[in-house]
Amino acid sequence: MHFEIQYRPTHSLAIAHLEPGESVRAEASAMVSMTRNLDITTDGPMGGRGGLLKSFKRAMLGGETFFTNTFRARGTPGHVTLAPTLSGDMLAVELGPGEPLYIQGSSYVAAPDSVDIDTRWQGLKGFFSGESLFFLEATGSGPVLVNAFGAIEQFDLDGEVIVDTGHLVAFGAGIEYEVTKASRGWIASYLSGEGLVLRMSGRGRIYLQSRNPNEYGQAVGSELPPRQG
Amino acid sequence: MQHYIEHGPAFAWLRVRLEPEERIVAEAGAMVRRSTALEVETRLNASKKAGFLGMVVAFFVALMRKLFGGETMFVNEFWGPQGGEVVLAPKLSGHILRKSLDGTRTLFVQSGGYLASTAGIDTRLRFGGLRTLFGGEGLVLLQCSGQGDVFVNSYGGITEIPVDGQFVVDTGHIVAFDGALDFRVRSIGGAKSFLFSGEGLVCEFRGRGTLYIQSRNLKALVSWVAPLLPR
Repeated sequence: MHFEIQYRPTHSLAIAHLEPGESVRAEASAMVSMTRNLDITTDGPMGGRGGLLKSFKRAMLGGETFFTNTFRARGTPGHVTLAPTLSGDMLAVELGPGEPLYIQGSSYVAAPDSVDIDTRWQGLKGFFSGESLFFLEATGSGPVLVNAFGAIEQFDLDGEVIVDTGHLVAFGAGIEYEVTKASRGWIASYLSGEGLVLRMSGRGRIYLQSRNPNEYGQAVGSELPPRQG
Repeated sequence: MQHYIEHGPAFAWLRVRLEPEERIVAEAGAMVRRSTALEVETRLNASKKAGFLGMVVAFFVALMRKLFGGETMFVNEFWGPQGGEVVLAPKLSGHILRKSLDGTRTLFVQSGGYLASTAGIDTRLRFGGLRTLFGGEGLVLLQCSGQGDVFVNSYGGITEIPVDGQFVVDTGHIVAFDGALDFRVRSIGGAKSFLFSGEGLVCEFRGRGTLYIQSRNLKALVSWVAPLLPR
């Protein structure tokens, strides 16, 4: 299985090419089109592995839809095209053995069954912003397809950096993180408008997106008339 | 200070490399990442020469905006003894433009268009007249003065228009304009065209100076989305 990405970077579309018998597991609602020879199974995010509890955990903490769809090619090669909700770039990050990738819940799009996805819960919430902090942990080998709101920056860290979680797509092994204040004090951090901010340290790659979905939602949402009833 | 405008024109961000003790001021919430060597101070985006009353007014406006949405008027100032790097991003899809001021001219920036400015720039809140309250599509402007760089962001692409004489722009498409230009907010025609033309309010510019407009309009997006929301 391999991913091909078209229409980068603004309105990217991914094509998952499948050889006979191969499968890809995609976030529910990501499918745009598919060849006729694909079998679809809708199930928990682990493709049945891990059971309901794991699915539930991911749905609750991972901020993703409860179900994922697995597309398996029957007999002949086939493909399925996948699109994220927001405008922006996509990237297939290649995992090696012992090189997990931590993905912000809403940034995960798809992966083959050689990659296992699990939730890593840090038990923290943005104090003022209400943003919760969680990552999906991708292990195994093969490509993981992630999406960004806007462009993706691949930032190689060797040391420390402060990152706004609204711009975080994913990061590799070897990076530690802790929640930190966005500005000097707590009141200033609230007024700073940065929400939940991480101090990330170590050596590894961080994937950032050039727009923040929450900020966008607030910019548009605050102009909307109040919901009635 | 070195600056890089990357990922434009659809999703531009501003990457700034600061020398020791150099400062950049940015709209609240704009930070993507920064060096740990940089410190952050959050304050009102009000002129240092505004005086007590000006500060009170600015604080009141800022608090209202924080509570009811819109640009907050709070800003974050980044600096550090060893310098460092900070990346800043606008909220909407679009591009970023740098405008340098030499102290002789000012720049008016539509309030949602302000992204960042260097330490030598002063900003003051200005309203584009009483008409701006009418229809809710008026102009809330930041007047930038002093010496340094102002970074403005647009919704969509930015077109630079050298005005010489008169020029008319829908208020929702204004990004920024030279302070030397005279401007007046009005409806596009009579009552009939105001109600039915779909153009709302326009801004009429006169004189000589540069005007920057954007190819998309947030108010138009909102009025397209609003009727589609479930009740």
